[in-house]
Amino acid sequence: MTVECLTGKKVLIKGNYAIAQAAVLAGCDCYFGYPITPQSEIGEYLSGKMQELGRGYVSAESEIASINMVIGACATGARAMTSSSSCAVSLMQEGLSYACTDELPVVLVSVMRGGPGLGNIYPSQGDYYQSVKGGGNGDYRTIVLAPSTVQECADLTYKAFYLAHKYKTPTILLADGLLGQMMEPVEFKPYPYEDIDNSDWALSGAKGREPRIIRSYGPLADDRCEFLEKLFAKYKTIEENETMWEENNTEEADIVLVSFGSTSRNVNTAAKILREKGYKVGTFRPITLFPFPNKRLAELAQKVKMFVTVEVNMGQMVDDVRLAVNGKVPVELVHKGVGAPPDPEYIAAQVEGLI
Amino acid sequence: MEKDFIIAGFGGQGVLLAGEVLANTFMIDDKNVTWYPSYGAEMRGGTVNCTVVMSDEDVSAVQKSKAEFIIVLNQASFDKFTSWVKPGGTIIVNSSLAEVKKTRNDINYVFVPITQMAQEKLENTRMSNILALGILAKVSGLIFVENLAKALENVIPPHRKNLIPKNIEALKLGYEYDLLNV
Repeated sequence: MTVECLTGKKVLIKGNYAIAQAAVLAGCDCYFGYPITPQSEIGEYLSGKMQELGRGYVSAESEIASINMVIGACATGARAMTSSSSCAVSLMQEGLSYACTDELPVVLVSVMRGGPGLGNIYPSQGDYYQSVKGGGNGDYRTIVLAPSTVQECADLTYKAFYLAHKYKTPTILLADGLLGQMMEPVEFKPYPYEDIDNSDWALSGAKGREPRIIRSYGPLADDRCEFLEKLFAKYKTIEENETMWEENNTEEADIVLVSFGSTSRNVNTAAKILREKGYKVGTFRPITLFPFPNKRLAELAQKVKMFVTVEVNMGQMVDDVRLAVNGKVPVELVHKGVGAPPDPEYIAAQVEGLI
Repeated sequence: MEKDFIIAGFGGQGVLLAGEVLANTFMIDDKNVTWYPSYGAEMRGGTVNCTVVMSDEDVSAVQKSKAEFIIVLNQASFDKFTSWVKPGGTIIVNSSLAEVKKTRNDINYVFVPITQMAQEKLENTRMSNILALGILAKVSGLIFVENLAKALENVIPPHRKNLIPKNIEALKLGYEYDLLNV
């Protein structure tokens, strides 16, 4: 299925196709990838569309090759992306670390499946750590955007390209197998962000100017310290400017349920069930996982009695919620190891058991 | 109001496509809707189903373990999904490929020889899935046949547009099937 780029009209579309189509509309110049369930439709769609538009598409020989091709393309200032899933995103960690220190606008779409190891093809949120904390070496952060609906898959793909280029920082769109495989009506609005000028750093050909070098090697200790300070000052700016979250019914809440991605839909329903039973329950959804909305969570911790994080993993984001809340009130966990998010009724019953 | 639909059968029966047509129908009707597939690694022959959730508000959950309306196109799906029907709900059974047998008294059974009808009236058993949607429209009272026909336009790819009239015929055949004769 290849849906044409239509704006102002809703189309029923799979999450994977929505991401791929949004990448095209965001002006993605080239895509490099290697197929893996549950995100193969992204490459499948782009394999036809990119060629049709005269843009770049390479079916790479491996995920290691994909990420390094993206690094090469980004170094020239191109809008480049790759997509993959869990065990194969593991193979890209070295590349991500290099791209961070090279300060390149890599866009990586990570559609989570069950793990660890080869795991299975069912949805999961088990790569929160992998995305937010990173599996590559050294001090680095990547921006991580977590959509919860297919519409957001499209909207945040736009945002991923924008933020990656604005901050010259690898940006991960962290979806999961449920979002990738499900269909929902989506409106593809025009790409809303400004183009970022990269003429002062891109390797665009040195004719008439001094040659530029982009490299991750920093042999002198003092220089490296200075570079890292500069890099982390950038991350601080990102935290100040780009932190996104959604909260509902938190003003009067005794209990706040925290979740991200596709799980949030079920959590919102669970909160509704609990409110109907008379409990004062609000919901909080980080949209950026880095930067994490810890300041707002700390504020909420001043007035709520308990947080409960709900995740499809063994408990990963709960660590960041606990850091933000800093012992002020209890932070509990309701979770499921792998698969579609737990039923709202189950979540509600588990939360009720914690009260 | 939120209603859940499951369509199940074996790979190749067009279960996912029927679900996509149904979900498009609700989108055309300005409802919130989600479609979620479940299938194995096989191209054909394995079991496959999809869940369509239609809601006036935000969809509460994408994957459901109970539904108001379930269409089963073969015996294996009938066996598996009978217990998934909500009390008072309806199961539409393809009696060409499943035994006419009621094991619950708190749900409605609709037995229709779907495959046989598709063969005899449309000379194409591959129309069974769309014919089943016509039956669902009649039984549920929640779906406009006109919107189903519009949804076909959204789903059927350009190079297969010649099949639309025949599919609309299948929809009507299902919709006009006299349920009292069952």
